[in-house]
Amino acid sequence: MTQTDTAVRLEAITKRFPGVVANDEVDLPVERGSVHALLGENGAGKTTLMNVLYGLYQPNSGRIVVDGEERQFDSPRDAIDAGVGMIHQHFMLVDTMTVAENIALGNEPRKWGGLAVDREAARREVVELSERYGFDVDPDKTVAEVSVGVQQRVEILKALYRGADVLILDEPTAVLTPQEVEDLFDVLDELTDQGKTVIFITHKLGEAMQAADDITVLRDGENVGTVDADETTREELAELMVGREVVLEVESTPPSVGDTVLDVEDLSVRDDRDVPAVTDVSFAVREGEVFGVAGVDGNGQAELVEAITGLREPEAGTVEFDGEDVTDASRRERIDGGMAYIPEDRQERGLVMDFDLVENGILGSQHNAPFAAGPTIDWTAAREHAEGVVADYDVRPPNADTEAVSLSGGNQQKFIVGREFERDPRLVVATHPTRGVDIGSQEFIHDRLLELRDEGRGVFLVSSKLDEVQGLSDRLAVMHDGDVMAVVDPDEITEEELGLLMAGEYPERYEPRSERDAEGVAQ
Amino acid sequence: MSDWLPGGPDRSVAAYTYDWLFADRGRVQQAVIAVALAAVLGLVAAGVVAPQSNAGRLFHVLTDSSTLAATLRLSVPIAFAALGGIFAEKSGVINIGLEGLLIIAAFTGIWTTDVTGSVWYGLLGGVVASTLLAGLFAVVCIEFRADQIIAGLAVWLIALGLAPFLSSVVYGSKNTTSVDTFPTLPEMGIPFLSDAVTVPLPVVGVAPAELPFFGALFDASPPVYLMLLAVVLSWYALHRTAFGRWVEASGENPKALDTAGVSVHRVRYVAVLLSGVLAGVGGAALALGIGQFTGNGPTMVNGKGFIAIVAYLFGNYHPVGALGSTMLFAGLDATQLTLQARDVFQVPTELVRTIPYVTVIVVLALFGRTRLPSAAGEHYESGEDE
Repeated sequence: MTQTDTAVRLEAITKRFPGVVANDEVDLPVERGSVHALLGENGAGKTTLMNVLYGLYQPNSGRIVVDGEERQFDSPRDAIDAGVGMIHQHFMLVDTMTVAENIALGNEPRKWGGLAVDREAARREVVELSERYGFDVDPDKTVAEVSVGVQQRVEILKALYRGADVLILDEPTAVLTPQEVEDLFDVLDELTDQGKTVIFITHKLGEAMQAADDITVLRDGENVGTVDADETTREELAELMVGREVVLEVESTPPSVGDTVLDVEDLSVRDDRDVPAVTDVSFAVREGEVFGVAGVDGNGQAELVEAITGLREPEAGTVEFDGEDVTDASRRERIDGGMAYIPEDRQERGLVMDFDLVENGILGSQHNAPFAAGPTIDWTAAREHAEGVVADYDVRPPNADTEAVSLSGGNQQKFIVGREFERDPRLVVATHPTRGVDIGSQEFIHDRLLELRDEGRGVFLVSSKLDEVQGLSDRLAVMHDGDVMAVVDPDEITEEELGLLMAGEYPERYEPRSERDAEGVAQ
Repeated sequence: MSDWLPGGPDRSVAAYTYDWLFADRGRVQQAVIAVALAAVLGLVAAGVVAPQSNAGRLFHVLTDSSTLAATLRLSVPIAFAALGGIFAEKSGVINIGLEGLLIIAAFTGIWTTDVTGSVWYGLLGGVVASTLLAGLFAVVCIEFRADQIIAGLAVWLIALGLAPFLSSVVYGSKNTTSVDTFPTLPEMGIPFLSDAVTVPLPVVGVAPAELPFFGALFDASPPVYLMLLAVVLSWYALHRTAFGRWVEASGENPKALDTAGVSVHRVRYVAVLLSGVLAGVGGAALALGIGQFTGNGPTMVNGKGFIAIVAYLFGNYHPVGALGSTMLFAGLDATQLTLQARDVFQVPTELVRTIPYVTVIVVLALFGRTRLPSAAGEHYESGEDE
């Protein structure tokens, strides 16, 4: 039977990283014997908060209370000693060692005065634990030989072996097949039945509702609400997750649309794990409009964008850009054809962090005039270009010799936006263009996007911020589970309807896509 | 109980051997194995049928007890360095400087023996010098995150320059003076052990040291026995102790070890220092087997540290496997030397010396069983995201 006391209580936890507040005064009470879901978008601060609880990060302020006692965790060792175990998204397992060896690692039972590992004792203990919780794992197999689902159980056993009463699971379903997800949820039930407490991090609201007793939603580092899983609805959760801050005041004139600049037909894309991420998606973006994509992160937007920009090979379907089939075209051909791209991860894909702005400014155009001077680069032209971008896009400090790594996130982003817009693009693919960017830079980037639209270029905008994507878009596609649920008029649709669509359900006036043309709502 | 044999106790040894050699292998592998098998059988046949032919004489050279003795002697520095390399690389630090550790230990071994008059102090001196140099390498790689390959090459180049230089300073020449060498087991006069060599075996009626082939095992110098002991101890340490498991985890997934509460840095330090100790024994034993350090050109070590790397890769990081491949390479060298000495037929030394490297490429390409530790060569810092 579950007791109704608090196993873990986080009080007003604040964790700052340079330039970012990852957790802002977050409270989190977790009942003993319950499954508590921590729900939120990527970057909402879920993992940071749990890393604080696990002793990987030290909070700037706030209290951690475990079993009614205030604790300070300087390292995971301290957290483990207090009975808190964490199962990371990327498993901390040694492939070449057996299941039993992995579980005992660092805590090996000894014999012969410590000279040898008592492998029988380790094995026995693993078998006992595994049987008690109904896990089906073979202690003698190497980790490389067992499935991902079993590896996850090995991780859970590792925490239990070290005496964990509170188990933190970071995005545990991300790597699992649907059947393995079901099995995992059974395991969680078994654990809580035996008095263990589970906190699991997810951005999938369906899973939170299915597996959790309580759900706490984090957004932009803040706790925006803790709800009872039985009493909430998917719409409520979706709204909590993406938030409804002040709708941006965007001076949006009606678009004057021209020809189709991007035409996506029946596109299907698989993700890194070879699981379908985008299935049979069709839409078109025209000159002079902003075509937005809304949806909870991880519903195929990233893969869709990668297929359009040439970073990922689609499984099926075609991408037509400016009237030409570019499905198999290289990245360079697309850039040269006038496709600008503001990537989701600016540090990974947008900039070379060790390069200065002069060098970063010509990335993607290094082979074109005026930068290419025969086999060498015309650095004078490159410098002029970088200085132009820095001045026009208000990059601070205004010095083209600055290395990208020393700019703040907002200024890095402004520089990327400037570089991409200066390509004189026919189409801009912008993914989360204002993520992690200060308010001032956000407005600036929004204005530039609209300017571009007014000049008759196409804008394909992906954002998980509802206010942004709704405020800027002229047409809005809502994605769920790799599918475009509907293409709607962002000025007409209500919050509730958007929430339902993002959660994979159809509000009354938006019938299934099969009956609606992929062209969506006419302008 | 013989059900450890696949297929159970009822299968004939021949069938089992056939499966072991040929089952589940590709055509190229099968062909290579068949050719090798034919060569071995051909040699044996020639040795029995036509002892005076070249092939027949080769067979007798191969089965001569002095060939095994030479093989064991030549194996010592390579095997010790290979064992050291296994510890370091399994923990995630590729120690390409084994050659340098052998060189510095070889010189210091001679110098210490010269000063103290004892080969055992000489051995100790070599170990200390090699361990210090390995410690420097460890600090540079682990603390200051230097590139392991570059730092390892530096270790080699430092020793390659330093040892002959010190020899010139001390002895006025790149080659040192001659000192005592290790005695063989019968010469050491250890009660019982040394006697065992001369007491006739009741079964065959000859002293063990006079046995046809394996007699060499009873008539060797202490480093050979130390080598065999070190192989067993290394295997035990790596596979049966907690430290061994940490070494493996440190090289495969250091983050897993770190989150399990074991310091990756500490494990790697110990492993690299151990590689210094082991290579030190090997280097000192090499020089003390001859009684002189020769520092011309590539010095007397002459690539043995690099062959050691090949040997442990070939042996797939297993101490016994490493010893096996070491003895294979050393055996080729010994055979070549004996062939030359007996004027059977001449094989150019240079050609024989390329055999380890050619073998490793062929074996890695065709069999591909060697798997580097996943995190080998990568720096690890606790609390940093990769």
